[in-house]
Amino acid sequence: MTADNRPMIEVSGVCKYFGSFQALDDISFSVRDGEKVVIIGPSGSGKSTILRSINRLETIDRGKIIVDGMDVSNPKVDICKVREEVGMVFQSFNLFPHKTVLENLTLAQIVVRKRDRQEAEKIAMELLHKVGIAEKAAAYPAKLSGGQQQRVAIARSLAMNPKAILFDEPTSALDPEMIGEVLDVMKTLAREGMTMVVVTHEMGFAREVADRVIFMDHGRIVEEGTPEHFFTNPTHERAKLFLSQIL
Amino acid sequence: MTDNQSPHKAIEVGDGAAIPHKSDSGLFTAWRIAFFGAIALCLFLAFGRSDQYMAIFKFVPDGILVTFKVTLGSILLAIVVGLIAGLGRISTNRFINGLASLYVEVIRGIPLLVQLFYIYYALGRFVKIPDMVSAIIAMAVCYGAYMGEIFRAGIQSIPKGQMEAALSLGMSRGQAMRQVILPQAFKVVLPPIGNEFIALLKDSSLVSILAVSDLLRRGREYASETFSYFETYTVIALIYLVMTLFFSKLIGIMEERLNDGR
Ligand SMILES: Nc1ncnc2c1ncn2[C@@H]1O[C@H](COP(=O)(O)OP(=O)(O)OP(=O)(O)O)[C@@H](O)[C@H]1O
Ligand SMILES: [Mg+2]
Repeated sequence: MTADNRPMIEVSGVCKYFGSFQALDDISFSVRDGEKVVIIGPSGSGKSTILRSINRLETIDRGKIIVDGMDVSNPKVDICKVREEVGMVFQSFNLFPHKTVLENLTLAQIVVRKRDRQEAEKIAMELLHKVGIAEKAAAYPAKLSGGQQQRVAIARSLAMNPKAILFDEPTSALDPEMIGEVLDVMKTLAREGMTMVVVTHEMGFAREVADRVIFMDHGRIVEEGTPEHFFTNPTHERAKLFLSQIL
Repeated sequence: MTDNQSPHKAIEVGDGAAIPHKSDSGLFTAWRIAFFGAIALCLFLAFGRSDQYMAIFKFVPDGILVTFKVTLGSILLAIVVGLIAGLGRISTNRFINGLASLYVEVIRGIPLLVQLFYIYYALGRFVKIPDMVSAIIAMAVCYGAYMGEIFRAGIQSIPKGQMEAALSLGMSRGQAMRQVILPQAFKVVLPPIGNEFIALLKDSSLVSILAVSDLLRRGREYASETFSYFETYTVIALIYLVMTLFFSKLIGIMEERLNDGR
């Protein structure tokens, strides 16, 4: 077990450029095993970029990212191994439309984790029960509501037994009445001790679930602390302004 | 970066052979008139007063079979070549990408007939294979370039989030391509590939210039023996017309089924 001595995710001095535009500027933070970190910040502040760098959907230009002891920033490291251990949930769900809900959950189990079909389906059904849509197992994603799709996407990620899950604005594409059902699933995961890094604008969720809140602006971490501290007594002007606008 | 999971964008590639849709009622009616008209004309000629046409109808069917073989062989091989070329065109490896692009550009810049001659005789110089196989390879090399562009467009029409989702589940690029991208892309490329099939069916008549006894060549053989050029080519044209119209329809129906599926 990684326990307390070694962080699950360690980001140090990360810089990232898109052309000449600097999207990330010297980002450092770490996430311990079982910790829930919420990243907030205005649009374009680099939240998605840092999240996507953790499983190398974006490559970084400077700095270092270590996930579960594996160096993501080293091009020689087999990134698939990292991605097996770190799930990702997207704003736009990204379910596979040509596969049923059940197949969405079993595909990577079979081709990546090398489980046999029966075992994969058993695990998939358990997870679908857990997120409350077992009855849709045979349906295609297009037949599901946004909230249901996102719950399937979370279950798909869980099916790999990840050590951590990254969430990039998982509720931003949802109709308001569906946000709750997805947040509930995420809260359950949090209670069960999943390591989570969540980019969100849901301040209620951040307050309730986060161990730590990171506030980003213009590619930098401007403020970092407990939700207590952040929501009641932020030190930086930018954070204050942001909170006053969003709350 | 946040691709909406919209239904796949329709892509428009392909040329010439239009496949009538039910919705396009004008074309649909035209299809019926042409198809049943051509068949009626065939029957009228075959069983009409003169035996001349019947003789032609008896002589050419061998050629129809060859035309089918060439078309089917070429399209299947062209799909394989096209898939490789298409994957090459989107490869991040600069060498592979350059090679695939070069292939596409060169092929698209040379008339089909010239390529046919060239590849056919080039092959003949180095290997001993049946004429029909050479012809099929030559056609596939040509059509593979167009098919490659269709595959490239088809693959690129799949939202980026699909690849990202597959990768973040730990799949390799190859696995993601095979399991997630290509199955979706295949649905997108099917209509343009159908168009290519019809175009290829017509272009297969070019192989009659090589030593392949396809429908057109059988016609030429018959005509030069009997000197009944007009009658022979009337029949040949009618048979091609019936075949292309028939397959256009078939492909159109297949496509509709596919869309109804989901
Ligand atoms: N592929 C890209 N090419 C060029 N610029 C990019 C690319 N991806 C992101 N950027 C830019 O980098 C900056 C940070 O983007 P990022 O998506 O990380 O922001 P964000 O904090 O997630 O914002 P949002 O709340 O809108 O999702 C933005 O200014 C964006 O325009
Ligand atoms: Mg974002």
